[in-house]
This record gives sequence, C-alpha cells and structure tokens, in this order.
Amino acid sequence: MTSPMPGAPKKVRPASGRTGVAQVLLRVLLTRLASVAFVLFGAATLAFAGLKLLPGDPVATLLGPQTTASPAVREQIRDEYGFDDPVYAQYIGYLDDLVHLRFGESYQLQRPVADLIADQFAPTAQLAFSAALLSVVVAVVVAVLTAGRRGVGRSAANTVELFAVSTPSFWLGIVLLTVFSFRMRVLPVAGADGFESLVLPTVTLAVPITAVLTQVLRESMESALDEPFALTARARGLSRLGVQVRHVLRHAAIPLATLSGWLTGTLLGGTVLVETVFARPGVGALTLDAVTSRDMPVVMGVVLLAALCFAVISQLVDALYLVIDPRLRKG
Amino acid sequence: MRALRNRHTRRGRAVAAALAAAFLAASCAADEGGGTAEEGPTGSPVRGGAAAVAVHQEPSCFDIHVSPQDITGSIQRNVFDSLVSEDAQGNFHPWLATSWEVSTDLKTFTFKLRTDVKFTDGTAFDAAAVKANFDHIVAKTTKSQYAAGLLGGAAYAGTEVVDPATVRIAFSKPFAPFLQAASTAYLGFYSPKTLAADADKLCTGGPHLVGTGPFKFTAYTKGQDLVLENNPAYDWAPQTAKHQGPAYLGKLTYRFLKEDAVRVGALTSGQVDAAVSVPPVNIKTVEGAGIRILRRDFAGASYGLYFNTTRAPFDDERVRKAIQRGIDIGTNVEAVYFGQYKRAWSPIGPATPSYAASLDNSWPYDPALAGKLLDEAGWSGRDGDGYRTKDGKRLTVTWPASPSSNREQRDVLSQAIQADLKKVGVEVQRPALDVGTYTTNAYKGIYDVLDVSWARFEPDVLRLYFHSSNLPSVSGQNAAWLTNPEIDKWTDDAAATLDKATRDKLYAQTQAWVVEHAVAVPVYSATALLGVAKHIQGVEYDPNAWPLFYDAWTTRS
Repeated sequence: MTSPMPGAPKKVRPASGRTGVAQVLLRVLLTRLASVAFVLFGAATLAFAGLKLLPGDPVATLLGPQTTASPAVREQIRDEYGFDDPVYAQYIGYLDDLVHLRFGESYQLQRPVADLIADQFAPTAQLAFSAALLSVVVAVVVAVLTAGRRGVGRSAANTVELFAVSTPSFWLGIVLLTVFSFRMRVLPVAGADGFESLVLPTVTLAVPITAVLTQVLRESMESALDEPFALTARARGLSRLGVQVRHVLRHAAIPLATLSGWLTGTLLGGTVLVETVFARPGVGALTLDAVTSRDMPVVMGVVLLAALCFAVISQLVDALYLVIDPRLRKG
Repeated sequence: MRALRNRHTRRGRAVAAALAAAFLAASCAADEGGGTAEEGPTGSPVRGGAAAVAVHQEPSCFDIHVSPQDITGSIQRNVFDSLVSEDAQGNFHPWLATSWEVSTDLKTFTFKLRTDVKFTDGTAFDAAAVKANFDHIVAKTTKSQYAAGLLGGAAYAGTEVVDPATVRIAFSKPFAPFLQAASTAYLGFYSPKTLAADADKLCTGGPHLVGTGPFKFTAYTKGQDLVLENNPAYDWAPQTAKHQGPAYLGKLTYRFLKEDAVRVGALTSGQVDAAVSVPPVNIKTVEGAGIRILRRDFAGASYGLYFNTTRAPFDDERVRKAIQRGIDIGTNVEAVYFGQYKRAWSPIGPATPSYAASLDNSWPYDPALAGKLLDEAGWSGRDGDGYRTKDGKRLTVTWPASPSSNREQRDVLSQAIQADLKKVGVEVQRPALDVGTYTTNAYKGIYDVLDVSWARFEPDVLRLYFHSSNLPSVSGQNAAWLTNPEIDKWTDDAAATLDKATRDKLYAQTQAWVVEHAVAVPVYSATALLGVAKHIQGVEYDPNAWPLFYDAWTTRS
C-alpha cells in the first residue's frame, strides 16, 4: 500500500511486450485504487474510534450548556442518531453509510455534510492552491539565486527563512492585517470576494511553507551542483544560471515532490487558522467549528476529505516521479 | 492616535500607487470613508444607505424556533416580529397584538391581533399564522432547544383560533412568564407558506426565512456575512420603537468577525460601521479613533462562582462565606475589565427587573473575616506552602476550566481570584477539561466550584439557577445543588403571578437568601459594548442588550 506520506520513489517493472502494456497498466491502476480505498477505510475507522473514545454525553455536548431542551427532546435526538446502539452496530452502520456515499447531517447546522463541504470547498481550494503556487514559485526563484553562493544575500535569505519557519500563522495574519488593512487600508479585512481578499490569507499561509521549500530545494541543489554532471555542463560553456535551471533544478525536484505530503497536510491545517483570522468561509473554518462543538458527522466528513486529498496527491506524486526522473522509468 | 493614523494612511497611498490597479481601487474606496468620518451627527433621520455590523459569533442555526443562541435571536429580531414588546422596565406594549387578556388563573392568554400586517411574501398575518407557528415550535420534528421551553414546555396546552383577529393560547397550569416569552424573537412568526414549504431548511438560513419584520433575509454566505434588506411595506413597529413605518437603512449587513483584533481593526479602519462586543481593553483605542461606544448592562444571571453545597468543604456555610468575602472582587473586576464591567452584588444583574438594589455594597471584601470563618470551620492549621489544613488535609478546592467557556478574559480574572484565595490560605485548582468531560462532571456534581452566567431579561433565571427541580442531574442549571423548600416556593410563586410588587418582594428575598447563605459568589455583570461609527445614528438597545437597527440611519449615502 501507499502511505499518505510518499516515501522514496518506486520503480515500475517494465512491460515485456506491447500486448502486456494494457494489462500492466490496468493492474497498476487497480492496485493504486485499492490502496486509496484502504487509506480511506483506515482514516474512517480511526476517526470513528477517536470520536467514540472522547468522554461525555454527545447529546449534552450537542445541545450546549444553555438550553431548556426537555428530556423528551434529548431522548429523541439520542434515538435519531442511534447513540444508544452498541458501538459495533454504530460502526457497521457508519461504514455502510460511507459505502453508499451517505455522509449524514450536521448536528449543529442541520444540513447534509456533503452539501456543507461542497459549499465550503471552493474557497479553501482557491486559498490552498494559490498559497502552494506562491510558495513553489518563490522557493524556486530564491533557491536558484542563492544555491551554492556565499555572501550577504545568502545569509539574509537564511535569516528570513528561519524567521518565516518559526512564525505562528495566527500572529503573522494579525500583523499583516494590522499593517495592510487597518493602517494602510489597501486590502480588505476579511471575506472571500475576489482577488484582493485572497492576497493576505495567501501570503500568511505561504510564508512558512515557502521557507521550508526553499531550504530543502537549496540543499538538494547544492548537492547536485557537486555532482560531476554539473561540472561537465559548466565545462561545456553553460552559464551558472543555465546549469541551475536546466539541469540542477530538475535533479533537485525529487525531494521537493516528496515533500508534497507534508505540503498537503500543512496547507489543510493552515487553512483552519488562516480562515479563522481572516473570517473567510471554507473547510478550515467549518472544521474548527465542528471540532469545538463536536459536530461528529462534519468532523468525519472532513477527515475523509483530508484522507482523500492525501491519497490522491501521493498517487499523483508517484506518477510525477516518473516524469521528473527518466531513470525511474527504465527500471 | 489620530496623527498616527493619518501618517499611515498617507504611506498607504504611496504603497498603493506602486501596487496593481485592483489594489488602488480598493484603497480609494477605503479612503473616502476617512474624509466624512469627521462630520458630526445630524439631527433628523435619513432614509436609504447601508450599514455593516461586525458580530463576534455566527449562528449555527438560524431557526428562531430551534436555536437557543443569542446571536440568532439578535440578528433575526430584524426579520421577525412578536405579539408584544417589552420595555427596559419590564412593562409590555402592543406590537402584533393590539391588546390581550390574561385569565385570573394565568392559564389562558387571549390576544387581539392587528389586521393590517403582512409577511414579506404577501401572506396576511392572522390568528391561523400564530397557531401554525406555535404548533411548529412544539412539533416533535422541530426539536426545539429553547422556544418550546419559552412556550411553557409540557404546560403548553394548545393554540385556538377564535376568529381571524383573535387567538387564545392555553396552558395546563398557571404560566405567568408567557408575556415575556411572547416578546422574544424566539416566539416570532414565520410566514405560514415558509412553514409549509421549507420547514426542514430553516436552520440553514436564507431568503426563504420570511417574516413580518422591518428587514428581509436576503442572502447568507456561511463563514462570511449575512445581508438583510429593507421591507418597504413595514408599518407595524412596536410602541417601544422611536419611529413608525419602514426602517431607515436600505441594507444591513452582518459580518462574522470572530477574532477580537480583527473586529476592532475592521471598525477603526472604517471597513464596518459598527461592531458588537468591543473588548474592554480596546475601548480607549476605539474611542480615540473617533468611534462612539454605546453601553448597556446585560440583564439576567451575572457571572458568578457557584459552590457545590453537597460535598466538603462547601457543605459548610462558613467556608463558602469565607470564599465570598476573601476575594477582592471590586479591584479584580476593575483591573481586568478596565472599569467597563460592573462588580456584581446579586446573582442577577442590576438591569434585570426585580433586582435587589439593597444588596449593593452589603458584602465587601474582608479577608480578616474570611480568616476568622475558616478558623471557626476548623481549617486552622497551616502547611509548608501557607495553605490552611484540617486534620492534616490541605484546603484545596477544584474549579474545572472548560476551554469553550473561556470568554470575557475569565481566565485572567480566575488567576486574580486564585491569588486572593491563596492569601487567605485556600488552594484553588483549575484542571483544564475537554467539553465532554466538563459537561459530564458538571451533571454528576464532580466539582467544588463552577462558574456560570446567563444573559436573559427575566428574573425567572433565579428559578432556573436555584430551584430544586433544576439540579444538574436532570440537565438543569442549579450548579449549587441547592434543595431548599423556601427558595423553591418563592421562585415558583414569583413565576405564577403578574403582580410586580409581589414578584419584586419574592425575588428580593431569593437574592438576599442566596447571598446571605453564600450559595454563590456573584462576580461581575457584563456590559454590552457596541462600537458605532460617527455617521451611524439612532441605534437602540432592546431589553436583552441586543443592538436594534430599526431606528438607525446613516448620514453617508
């Protein structure tokens, strides 16, 4: 099976002949689908176990402290959600629902979980994608400019990266808001209406990611620069920048791709904080509310979504290795 | 502060010039606000315009018949009207009902209704609409968490349509609180069409939530904002309002800004026109930015510490009294809330009807008395850390902390309380619990102290907090586990009469008894702190200390 965090690149056995290609491809595809399904099953089971192990009466938590709900209403809620059934029965019922793509209804919001997540997914995807894009672009530019160099630029970059990695997103978000929104008034404080409202959240989410990516990329570029092929390329008259961009960068992209699992996790976790600070709608904000109010169906739905993201991305990255590094294709 | 702001604004323009055109547009739009902010208030109301209000919470359910949330009630107050309205003194006035009769046994309430009221979908408001709504509240499928209780719970016997303009509500036992309940937004009225077509989608919020109110529910973006638009046909404001006819504002937007710093920043930078729940620590800054703070004391149960009177050491009244007098409440509340919140003297706040003002200053800070009482109770020994002991056991009390109940800087306040009690030799432990364990322990009485508050414009909270039928073991709010026949009788009798003098007397007795026997330590009574930009006029408060925008107007078009 494939772990959610993609490990070292895998080697695919070459097909022996033309007729075998389709078969092999099919087998590969099926294996991969099975591993995605297994990851989802594991995540669903762990989420279920975790929620069942939490102490407290779910009905009391659901209703909150200030309610005058009658015992009859409490009993009705208990019945409706099957809180009194044996745990194994609840688990089987839950898996059955999942297989049939029934994700249940939020306790707190009284809406189908699938609808809720579908509604909130677009702003989160927009934010996560723009932050990932910004991080990768900035990381590549900075790494190319600073790899293998000594001097002021390099140490400045190092210092900034160190700060960026250790800056809490929450604090950074408030600082950016204070400067650009409250004082300069060039960007809106919150919401998800168009480009301006995306700028600060994207920067907040991207800063720590960019720092890590830059450091990893630079380190692997530097080890690639020490390889004989880099020297050969230079000896053939290619400029330093040319070597970096055309040869070394490709070489150094493998560890970067390997980090994509970490990247996915950081982006998903980061959106929780960023969406809260910037009052943006999205899955992150939905998750925070669901966890604090123990809205179990929503928590389960978000866990599955996260697992699906991990599984799909790790499969894509496995495929990406083959594109980046032709040696893996030859076996 | 103003000089500082201007400097930053200029720099802002310089930076903006260097940025993309899209940014520039945004910056200009924001800067226009700064110019007019210096103009003073104008006298007469202006029609039209829009206002944006930042609120600190987002309703999880918009259905007034289901949700117990204040934020739901306060937003939906704009969309839904009630039978009667209540003024700040606790008197009732006509609203959708022109008059009413209460039977002498307090079991039937007959309302004469206005005949000119229309829902925003054109349906007429009549007795059948009242019945449809009250039937919806008590329907099992509604799973009401609050409104059904306001409607008498098990005592509700039914609603009868006498004629289109007369409706009679009956209870199986005397139910005096009904008029107050009928004045709340939770017993407001949906269009019968809404109840027929969209009963299962009310929680979600949206334009299908149709009422008779001065505003229409126009749009809702979860996690972001909610838009209300003027109802031009509105001509049935309650007598407690400052004007009649449609609301002045054309559009009212609620923006959900949960982070204090963000909400305050949005207000001072002019991105919203008003903000609720300005933190006391920010009041000076906000006022320095030329923004008015409108204050109103919350009624209901003040924030207080409730002793578990069923187990040691707080089964001993002397120990409870020692705690009550051993905390320098006045100084702590002043320091933590920068003088914005009032120190409490009674389990209910001074804005609550039937508040016992005679309790003011009746139990001041007295650490010497606290020490004396603890000595008398046998806690006379001292251990190495300076805490009191009895039979070699340290005087330690457990006060569970729930992460979700920490608002209004209560964690800071509790540290001050811990420090004060250490001085008189009491160790206060505050284990941090998750919500589930916290609730379970509370219902089982596994605690020495619990801190609670409940904002509600009704002294009946005394019954919810101290009556023996509301013990936590049956999911009630009686956190002191008090079972006292006298208190039961007083609070029952007060809830069963509409005579103000009798209620005042019974509730005063209850408040005095609770303080006298140190069942609870009232700590502070919170004040609503609403920040309002200069160009917004006419904002009022309702008795719950919720801001009302019906009478509000903006001088900026």
